[in-house]
Amino acid sequence: MQVLGRSAPARRLTAVTAAAALALGLAACGGDDSPSTSQSGSGDDQVTIRFSWWGSDTRQQVTQEVIDAFEAKYPHISVQPDYTSWDNYFEKLNVGAAGGDLPDVITQEERFLAEYANRGLLADLDELGLDTSAIDDAILDSGTTDDGLVGVASGVSVHAPVADPAAFEAAGVDLPDDTTWTWDDYEEVAAAISAGSDGEYYGVQDYSFLEVVLKIIARQNGEEVFTEDGEVGVSQATVASWFQRSLDLQASGGEPSASVSTEVQAQGVEGSLPATNAGAMAWFWSNQLEAIQSAAGRDLVLLRPPGEADAQRTGTYLKPTMYYSVAAGSDHPEEAALLVDFLINSTEAGELILADRGLPSNEDVREAILPLLSDADRVGAEFVTDISETVVDGTPVPPVGSGETTQITQRINSDLLFGRLTAEEAAKRWIDEVSAAIS
Amino acid sequence: MTALNELRQLRQQRGGTTVKPVTNLRKSDGRAALVFLAPWFLGLFGITLIPLVASLVLATTDYDLLTAPTFVGLDNFTAMLSDTRLHQSLKVTLLYVLTGVPLQLVVALGLAVLLNRGLRGMTFYRSVFYLPSLLGGSVAIAILWRQVFGQDGIFNAFLGWFGIEGMGWISHPDTALWTIVLLHVWTFGSPMIIFLAGLRQVPEMYYEAASLDGASRWRQFRSVTLPLLSPIIFFNLVMQVIIAFQAFTQAYVVSNGSGGPSDSTLFYTLYLYQEGFSNLRMGYASAMAWVLVLIVLLLTAVNFWASKFWVFYED
Repeated sequence: MQVLGRSAPARRLTAVTAAAALALGLAACGGDDSPSTSQSGSGDDQVTIRFSWWGSDTRQQVTQEVIDAFEAKYPHISVQPDYTSWDNYFEKLNVGAAGGDLPDVITQEERFLAEYANRGLLADLDELGLDTSAIDDAILDSGTTDDGLVGVASGVSVHAPVADPAAFEAAGVDLPDDTTWTWDDYEEVAAAISAGSDGEYYGVQDYSFLEVVLKIIARQNGEEVFTEDGEVGVSQATVASWFQRSLDLQASGGEPSASVSTEVQAQGVEGSLPATNAGAMAWFWSNQLEAIQSAAGRDLVLLRPPGEADAQRTGTYLKPTMYYSVAAGSDHPEEAALLVDFLINSTEAGELILADRGLPSNEDVREAILPLLSDADRVGAEFVTDISETVVDGTPVPPVGSGETTQITQRINSDLLFGRLTAEEAAKRWIDEVSAAIS
Repeated sequence: MTALNELRQLRQQRGGTTVKPVTNLRKSDGRAALVFLAPWFLGLFGITLIPLVASLVLATTDYDLLTAPTFVGLDNFTAMLSDTRLHQSLKVTLLYVLTGVPLQLVVALGLAVLLNRGLRGMTFYRSVFYLPSLLGGSVAIAILWRQVFGQDGIFNAFLGWFGIEGMGWISHPDTALWTIVLLHVWTFGSPMIIFLAGLRQVPEMYYEAASLDGASRWRQFRSVTLPLLSPIIFFNLVMQVIIAFQAFTQAYVVSNGSGGPSDSTLFYTLYLYQEGFSNLRMGYASAMAWVLVLIVLLLTAVNFWASKFWVFYED
């Protein structure tokens, strides 16, 4: 550089800054390593396996207790915990997969299950002799691909509007009869709450950031967002009507302005409208009720999705909250399968985990823990049990690449809310981009 | 070109001086030197050169992280031509660099000049003004930023005192990028320190001569300080442009990793990260990284070329 040729102090200064800049650059590159791979312990048959999951601090503590109980039962196995927050869980896992360094037991999610299974990264749990006799076949199907049972669901949840009865009361609006209400009722109720509470409460939190609501609407119209063949199966008209309702709600004041909606969306469960006593309704998974309720500091309820009664069919489906998988490349697949067995089949683990990973998929464990649940969890559990009677079928395993749908939906929806796209344009873009992502 | 000339000149100067090259280097000294240099070499090869070459190779492949890469030639590069999100990310990054860097340098220079006056408690002020630079790159500050410029943030509360109704600055696509530019400007510490050091090099006698000639302070600043400081300004400019192109943390944290709202804070590096690690297109991300290198190289070359017209060297 030119500066280097100048007076001695200037040169020194330059060198120091350059070195500092370089050091900064290096520091930025060298992130910390994930925990080491699984390897045999020092004892003869002492083995160490690694177990990864995502989630909150509470989940971390509970899971550690489960691990302790497992190690007490199987003294020759020690389990190394490996957890991060949801936001960067898969980024970390993907890098691990690239380096052939997957944990032995992996907590998986719907969107990446097929992605991993298709590449032969997950072991067939049936082959490993996992006992799945107490789990419903429909739930097992959701974790089965051409490669066999690649993931077993920890539990199930349903997506539905969480409602704050106190907000309804403050606005002088009756809680709707959720067995009959329609999407038009949903809009009217939302607008009435915003109007009736003098701005203290918004009617609803914007729902079109969440592709899962589209999934329910598509199913009500006899469509699927992703078909069995791994293609986009939802029509542009359905997507457009979904987006249009957001715009209508924004116009009627039933939901907040674009800017507030975006901000609230980014703040997750604890920052949602019902959790901050700022709105009457927002869409969540039934196992999140506990977290929202404890943030809100008052009792909340779950409502069935609108339109279930008058649509072609019901849209609600039981979603496996998360899956446990065993890495195909694990050095100790039997021990890993023992841990999965303990996690899903033992009452001991169930009593610690409770409903944190969804209402347990193992029906015996479910029975055993029901009396132990907190109020919110019990409300969630009863809701899931009741609504599962109306569920027609499961949804197909989403295709490879569908993990991008979340990002695409959020991006297009913010353009929509800020008035940069019409509902029609947004729907067209959504179909185009999602199709491109899974092709 | 200029850089080469400079180097040549430097060599000639060295050749003419009386500094003798160190001879009689004993063998054991050489070995000791190697041992001391080993950690640096390890770093150079392990985390710089090898990944550099690997990423160049990956740039020509379709690589999803989970299965082995397949060679696709220049497909990744041609795909960039029609990638609208990539174009958006370039626009965002260029806007950030072209506004953030000059603004930051102006603030840094202004404060350096003020601090160079020999105020009482100078060291204290210097430390205080440097503080944001220590904090600014951190995740904590980025999270704080989200609060400050949020709908119910401090900034809106401040506007409220004047009866101005605020908005969600971070969550609106028209303003989100500017909050990050502001964060960048706020971390003016390191260029300021370099300016301060540069100001100390300006001989006092020039100012004395200038004031004897009746030059005003402003005139002195323009005709004495600025020309003599121009090599330092140039250095800061080059460095800050390079650093600004690599901006990632702030945008990642402020937007929750999405680059939102509406891709308005989708920095080039952030999009690269999303493509590589979330969307499993590591080949494409590697190609993007090399395009970034080329862009920065090109801009630095332009910078060096342009410096001929405004950088003044005393000797």
